[in-house]
Amino acid sequence: MKPLDFITGEIVGILLFFIGLYGLMTKKTIVKTIMSMSIMESGIFLFYITINYTSGSVPPIGQDLSGVNYVDPVPSALMITAIVIGIGVTAIGLTMFMHYKQKHGITHWSRNRNQTGSEH
Amino acid sequence: MLGLLVLTPILAGVIAYLLDNRASKLILYIFQFLYAGLAFFIFLNVKENGPIVWNVGGYTDGLALSLYADAISIFMVLMTAVFYIAFLIYATRETYFKGRFYFLFMTLQGLMMGLFLSSDLFNIFVFLEVSTVVVAILIMYNKEKQAIYDGMIYFFVNVIGTAFLLFGIGMLYRTFGLLDIRAIKESMTLLDGPRAVVLPYGMMMVTVSLKTAVTPLFSWLPKAHGTPSAPPVVSAVLSGLYIKSGVYMFIRFNDMFSPVIDMHVFFFWIGFFTSLVGFIMALGQKDIKLILAYHTVSQIGLIMMGLNMASEIAFWGAVYHIFNHAIFKSTLFLTAGMIYDEYGTRNVYKIRGLFKRMPWVAVATTFAILGITGAPFFNGSISKYMIAHGTYDYGVTLLLNIINLGTMMSFIKYSTMLFGNNPKEGHAKTDRFALVASVSMGIASFFTGIFGEALTQFLFNYEVHVNVEEYIQKGMVYVLMIVAGIAFYHGIVKHGGLITRIGHLELTFNGIITAMAGYFIVIVTYLSLII
Repeated sequence: MKPLDFITGEIVGILLFFIGLYGLMTKKTIVKTIMSMSIMESGIFLFYITINYTSGSVPPIGQDLSGVNYVDPVPSALMITAIVIGIGVTAIGLTMFMHYKQKHGITHWSRNRNQTGSEH
Repeated sequence: MLGLLVLTPILAGVIAYLLDNRASKLILYIFQFLYAGLAFFIFLNVKENGPIVWNVGGYTDGLALSLYADAISIFMVLMTAVFYIAFLIYATRETYFKGRFYFLFMTLQGLMMGLFLSSDLFNIFVFLEVSTVVVAILIMYNKEKQAIYDGMIYFFVNVIGTAFLLFGIGMLYRTFGLLDIRAIKESMTLLDGPRAVVLPYGMMMVTVSLKTAVTPLFSWLPKAHGTPSAPPVVSAVLSGLYIKSGVYMFIRFNDMFSPVIDMHVFFFWIGFFTSLVGFIMALGQKDIKLILAYHTVSQIGLIMMGLNMASEIAFWGAVYHIFNHAIFKSTLFLTAGMIYDEYGTRNVYKIRGLFKRMPWVAVATTFAILGITGAPFFNGSISKYMIAHGTYDYGVTLLLNIINLGTMMSFIKYSTMLFGNNPKEGHAKTDRFALVASVSMGIASFFTGIFGEALTQFLFNYEVHVNVEEYIQKGMVYVLMIVAGIAFYHGIVKHGGLITRIGHLELTFNGIITAMAGYFIVIVTYLSLII
């Protein structure tokens, strides 16, 4: 077995997921949080679309499928939905962040909740 | 038929949003009554004929996207539909109750129904993600600085949590090639051993635990539920109903994994610590909304304990407690909204003389407090009685009593608002609609207690007999608890010090994410040790 055989989509997906998680755990900048979130999600997408993939299989669209291995289409279909949701979520996150920064000039997660603000 | 339950609230919200005039409110009320009627009709149907399945597109069951209604899910649907009537009535005269709010509020209802009914894992993910967005926007509805910060924390933490769920679903799909909960449960039995599902179980439980806000993942909840400027109706929906979708998913997912994985001991203790931490932190707060929010954490812990006692009566007691908690916590949040509007402060030590200033609000609050502390004849006592009957172990009974004492202490602190001198002359003007909604919910917490036996029989088909002698004994314990609670309050809580400092401890954003990763590692390690 060649060493490169270990680098399958699933393994890389899992690695990307945890790299993203590491970024979320350590970075205090809000923009970096959003970026780490995207990395994490890309890891998941990669994991899904390579589920149970065997090399040489074909997409099940527009060709004769008798006698050939074809790819399971369900994960790809799920990922189209998930990518759209991911884009929406990233956009909303960025919108919130931009509003917050322009109005209040804050770019980092603060250490503590502003307790004085709760006095009405 | 079941599809209507998910779709129609969203459509009604859109119509009300497009009209955006006087008629739209009327449309919403008429719709909500009809909708609750439909939910009740389907509820009776399920009760008579057993579970209903609705497959999209006519594919075979198990492969199709499907909605599935059984006793628990249709009960949650009915509960949500009925409570929304009260919430809509409460909000009638409020300033924020306009087009955009209708749309988001009704959409949230539809999404919750989707969460309760969906039997497809990927659909559950989609509903979770979309409802996170809707809830985040509702939290920051007033665009105040603190509210935006809290909304952002809520949003990011929950989106990341849901990513865990998506990853877990992917791993399950890799093993089974299925996405339907019931079908996966059936094929679980064919597995050689539980090793293959340890990782997906861990991933999915991280999301579920985050949504139910157990220790150590509850830090986002007080921020989201107790944020100062969020409308009271939003806090009531979040604390009363939306948080229950997490508990519901916990029941569903654990049922799905039940053929191979049994973690009830672990989650029992998690529930206990959640409860303990919840009330200790509630004691340290002085903002009334935050007291209630931390107390939600504590009650969720109690529900988790009941669900994980491995006994039938405690399980149904916990499910009944979901219902009861929805009643009294919604009442408390709704009345809290009226109270701080009138007094202009949220500080529990500054609000006094509620009985003289706003008598009816005070009555509703009292009913809810009696309910949540488990006073005899109120609903909390029945569900706590059922949970306490799940065990014969004295240790566990002791744990439950500790939690009851904690609840008592924090609500003695909360009820100091009721007494004392009226700060101004005469009664305050209160909005009649809001008053009717909150008082009727308060009274409901009394009637669901009196008719507790009949209700559990009707709602869950589960017979429970309350032993009169034991019940009287519990009532005496309740009185003792009050005395002990007052003593503790005057002795320790009032003076603050350490307890206030504990109350102000909280995790930063990075801390919450680290806790999530740590929780995942703990679950996976624990699982690999016990299998």
